[in-house]
Amino acid sequence: MAQIFERSSNALARMSLILTGLIVISLGVTLDQLQRSPWVTRQGQRPDQPVPFSHKHHVQGLGLQCQYCHTSVEKSSYAGIPPTKTCINCHSQIWTNANLLEPVRKSWATNESIVWTKVHDLPDYVYFNHSIHVNKGLGCASCHGRVDLMPLMYQQNTLQMEWCLNCHRDPAKNLRPVSQAYNMAWEGPSKEKPVWCSVSDEKTGKPTAQSVDCQTSEPGSGKVEVASLSMAGITLPTATNYTKFTSQRALGNYLIDHYKIRKPNELSSCEVCHR
Amino acid sequence: MSSEHGNGMIKDVSGAEDSSAFPAGMTTQKATSTAEAPLTLDQVRTKLSGVKGKRYWRSIDELAGTPEFEAAVAKEFPDAAAEWVDPVSRRGFLKLMSASLALAGLAGCTKQPDEPIYPYVRQPEDLVLGKANYFATAHPFPTGGLPLLVKSDAYRPIKLDGNPDHPYNLGSSDIFAQATLLDLYDPDRSQHATLRGTTTEYVDFLGAYRDRLNEGKKDGGEGLYFLSTSFTSPTLQRQWIEAQKAYPKARLVQYDPALAGTAFSKGVSPQYSLEGADVIVALDADFLSGAGYPGFHKLTREYAARRKNPAKGMNRLYSVESTPSTTGLKAEHRLGLRASEIPAFAAALAVAVGAAGISAPAYSWSAEQTKFLGVLAKDLKANAGKSVVIPGLYQDPSVAALALAINDALGNVGKTVTALVETDGLPFASPDQIGDLKALVADLNAGKVDWLVMLNSNPVYDAPADLEFKTALGKAKVSVHLGSHIDETGAEAIWHVPAAHYLESWSDVRAYDGSVSVIQPMIEPLYGGHTAHDLIQAMLDEPQTSAYEAVRTTWKSTIAKGGEFELGWRKALHKGWIDGTANTVAASMKPGAVKVPTPLPKEAFELIFRPDPNIYDGRYSNVGWLQELPKPVTNLAWDNAALVSGATLTKLGIEEGEILEITVGGRKVKTPVLVAPGHPDNAATLHLGYGREAAGRVGSGTGFNAYLVRTSDAPFYTTGSAVKVEGKWGIAVTKSHFQDHRSKMEGGDGSGTHSLEGNEAETRGVIRSATLEEYKANPGFANEGEEHPKVERDNSMFPNWEYKDNAWGMSIDLNSCTGCNACIVGCYAENNIAVVGKQQVRIGRNMQWLRIDTYFEGDLAAPKAHFQPMACQHCENAPCEQVCPVGATVHTPEGINTMVYNRCVGTRYCANNCPYKVRRFNFLLFSDYETESLKLMRNPDVSVRSRGVMEKCSYCVQRISEAKIDADKENRAIRDGEVVTACQQACPASAITFGNINDKTSKVATLLAEERTYSVLADLNTRPRTQYTAAVLNPNPELAEAPVEHAPAKG
Repeated sequence: MAQIFERSSNALARMSLILTGLIVISLGVTLDQLQRSPWVTRQGQRPDQPVPFSHKHHVQGLGLQCQYCHTSVEKSSYAGIPPTKTCINCHSQIWTNANLLEPVRKSWATNESIVWTKVHDLPDYVYFNHSIHVNKGLGCASCHGRVDLMPLMYQQNTLQMEWCLNCHRDPAKNLRPVSQAYNMAWEGPSKEKPVWCSVSDEKTGKPTAQSVDCQTSEPGSGKVEVASLSMAGITLPTATNYTKFTSQRALGNYLIDHYKIRKPNELSSCEVCHR
Repeated sequence: MSSEHGNGMIKDVSGAEDSSAFPAGMTTQKATSTAEAPLTLDQVRTKLSGVKGKRYWRSIDELAGTPEFEAAVAKEFPDAAAEWVDPVSRRGFLKLMSASLALAGLAGCTKQPDEPIYPYVRQPEDLVLGKANYFATAHPFPTGGLPLLVKSDAYRPIKLDGNPDHPYNLGSSDIFAQATLLDLYDPDRSQHATLRGTTTEYVDFLGAYRDRLNEGKKDGGEGLYFLSTSFTSPTLQRQWIEAQKAYPKARLVQYDPALAGTAFSKGVSPQYSLEGADVIVALDADFLSGAGYPGFHKLTREYAARRKNPAKGMNRLYSVESTPSTTGLKAEHRLGLRASEIPAFAAALAVAVGAAGISAPAYSWSAEQTKFLGVLAKDLKANAGKSVVIPGLYQDPSVAALALAINDALGNVGKTVTALVETDGLPFASPDQIGDLKALVADLNAGKVDWLVMLNSNPVYDAPADLEFKTALGKAKVSVHLGSHIDETGAEAIWHVPAAHYLESWSDVRAYDGSVSVIQPMIEPLYGGHTAHDLIQAMLDEPQTSAYEAVRTTWKSTIAKGGEFELGWRKALHKGWIDGTANTVAASMKPGAVKVPTPLPKEAFELIFRPDPNIYDGRYSNVGWLQELPKPVTNLAWDNAALVSGATLTKLGIEEGEILEITVGGRKVKTPVLVAPGHPDNAATLHLGYGREAAGRVGSGTGFNAYLVRTSDAPFYTTGSAVKVEGKWGIAVTKSHFQDHRSKMEGGDGSGTHSLEGNEAETRGVIRSATLEEYKANPGFANEGEEHPKVERDNSMFPNWEYKDNAWGMSIDLNSCTGCNACIVGCYAENNIAVVGKQQVRIGRNMQWLRIDTYFEGDLAAPKAHFQPMACQHCENAPCEQVCPVGATVHTPEGINTMVYNRCVGTRYCANNCPYKVRRFNFLLFSDYETESLKLMRNPDVSVRSRGVMEKCSYCVQRISEAKIDADKENRAIRDGEVVTACQQACPASAITFGNINDKTSKVATLLAEERTYSVLADLNTRPRTQYTAAVLNPNPELAEAPVEHAPAKG
């Protein structure tokens, strides 16, 4: 009886086994990549908004500070989307007839919300709190990117759990002086651009941020560039010991100590974000 | 990031068997095996007496070893089997399965849908989105208002708690006040005015009403009648007094079904102070179990305060009661009497303590009762001036008078009992609610009633049966019903007007001490409701005046006394009450003449009527949280039942869950029957409020309607007959679910008939208690002896956890807990817990994170009980953590055993491995993601759990996180007392303390270091974070029971 299968079918069989394995693996890799792809994470996508609001124009061009609109970022979990009133503050005076602003005027007249589409949208089981991040030395740009360069708002980072944990497991790489939180262009210290910081007074019950002073010019050089939460009429405590930082790592570790940032095991504990 | 969540109120309220009205829904299948007759009371006693040591039990069945009990506990989930066997269900199951498989495959790849943002157009200045605001208001309740502090998220009330600054309740609350939150968002509330059942506009009604009022001006309001629940609002009282001037012939009838006929409704409301009371006697007074008793919050707090430190002296509570209540079960000595015997007993007690002018009716008391009376009188006399006698609310008014006479004779008046004088001269008690209602019905039948306006009342359902109110109502020319639901009365009335909830409207109310709280609205009326204020104001010269203006007018002069009015008004709103309105203490109070009714003949079958502990007089029928709450004593949920004693059960030849037909003067009602430990013999208790036909999707068709046999001449107790009829009614009792099969060698009792819980309460020291003498002799009793194992820190394979910063822990004082359930309802609201429905409760799937385990002790007819709140113990060596294959339940660096819902895949290994049985699994989609009004209610800081997810007590981790963030921002440690769990906040007895056990000065650390503190199931070495303070009882040696071994002697 003749053989049913030719000799070459051995090779075919081996090939198909290998192929099956490859297909399974590549399917896994594909799904994994898909899950991390901008198609799922929405990185870089600019959804249609009722008004093509330009952060670039308002922040970089006009110099508006973030909190002018996002008022509750230091106080609450929610940074706050400005009410129509905030737009109208200026746009009752300028660009009063611009076509682009029609939805704003309509909202103001009809008392109905301008319906934006959420760009940074975390799942409902994630309880993110803006205030603790901003108060402990995390800048807006660390998560949201260079918003001041975005004509249309988009999501810079994946906002996936691994991305959150990257920082929660090692916050030193992203910490900056609280006074620089709203500085979009902050790059962290380097050999060329060192940062000097000092701790004046560590009273409990007061925000730590107030006790750490950082500046980007050498203390005593005359070019006083104090970056601190100082208020008019209050003389700054005279700090004596300035430490010079030339790397983000060193500054981060210094700030972890003085801002009393919790340990990585506490920051990455489940109940911090999920409850 | 606060976003809206959906969570469940109701799914699958009940199966077909139980969802229809009671008589129709009753199945007529024959009772299953009754081959072995249940034990008689004597036999049970014999059985008990043969047992050495302390014997705890969970239910009567268990004690008697009935076949039903054995069958029930033999299966882990009784009655569950039917679910997938039924072909329709199975098909549904397969459909669900295929759908969920498809979803499971895709879930990983689905993208989140776009979410819109709706910012304000003009944002309120004081609103920080994401941060809650707190506003003071008050819950109006017929026995007194409860000052509240409402948590409001973006101006939606999401949690109600007591006002911590108010001297009356100091922040505590009760099940009713907590549950009115769900009442507010009840999707079944009426949303439109109706005219003869068709939707119409409120203005149409208002036009007709105004026309009638204008017409009435000519003849003084002849034919104009108002029927209302008690006017608790002083402003409403003022408005009515003014309306009466314009319409002198208009009539107002106040009728509160639970209170009509009580001494309280006649204006008798003495103030009790238990701080100085060494001996407390409750004469059928259930002052520890809920807000149904006036002053509950204060009385419970003061009672518990005297039990927290036994070394410094304790009070002693005697209870003489009919229907077993938590007050009786907490009492050191309890005497069960029939309700009709209580007045005679009170009179005999009055005579025994030497009260003047009292004559007790002749009655043949048993030897036991005589002895109790003698010892009680002796103890009272020995503690003259340091004792108090509290009369029952639902008793003949003579009991209140007799209690006053006894207190007077003992010199307690002015010390532990005081009378109040109303400061503002607005006395508004209606002396004879039942008489007034009778007169109204007579006028209706005589055709004298032209317009009948019913304000927030439901007389068609709850008026005495003999008045035939429904028929009479048809004879009114025009009937108007103002109510939150189109209930039984709303369906009969010609006009129905939706009522605004108290959280939606302005009003005011007096607390127990007389102080006035302003009720301020928390939210715009959801359905444009109106209030009684609006309808009464319409009769006055300025009919448009809003309730807000009316309340301000009432208190203008009082507030202005303390300075500028506007400032004072704002202060009052901020604080929650108006200064200078608390009633003043009367100089003296003298008992009047008393007419003591003779007890019903001993052979007569007595029926006792009581408002339901959970849904009161029926007003909270549609509140799922309350329906699903296991009632104190019986642990019955979703129904009421005729409560009887074990002996009466035997005598009637019936078994639990079978049907009894009760006849009173020709009126009949069919009811399932249930044993209540300690119930007096030859009597049955019928709880009011159930058997409603038009309560809504939750309340309709639950239980049976006891109003059908309650007549106007006997509101509290009467005689009737009871016979067994064919049928069975599935009742949902959340008691024993596990049977102890272990032999004696292995620690069981070998009988195989007892529940594991009951056995282990004794053998493994789940409940530990001692008498005061024993405690004094051996303060460390709770952690000594073989049956009281201790935890050992290093006795484990696993390395110990180390905590640098916070380590959260909880202490629960078993001496203080009175089993009032306030904590459970507080937990419902705080943690978005779903309601599952009766059928699911019956198969053990109720979702309450916290339960109160009741362990009975001692004699079947006169048991004591220990109430043990049981929630996740947050073990150091948590058995659940070891078995979760996906790491969904993990130990946090602060010692909390936390659930990560989005990791949970529903293996349920954790629940199986939990020795405390505190984990709850979403077997079905219990949470309601659809109903719009319920979305408003949810706590935005807690996830709403979906099907297939395990959940359990989280120590209110959302509150911990919030406190931690606040503290971190301010660069400080969390202060002691900064984190308060929802259960702790609600507790009127302050039985629960939460805090950081690493801080040795914290309150919780101090309590946990006490000698009486023990861990439940300590022998497992799970090292729970929640620990219990053992109870110490203060019995009177003269009434000592048969000697039982309580605690091992020292040495």
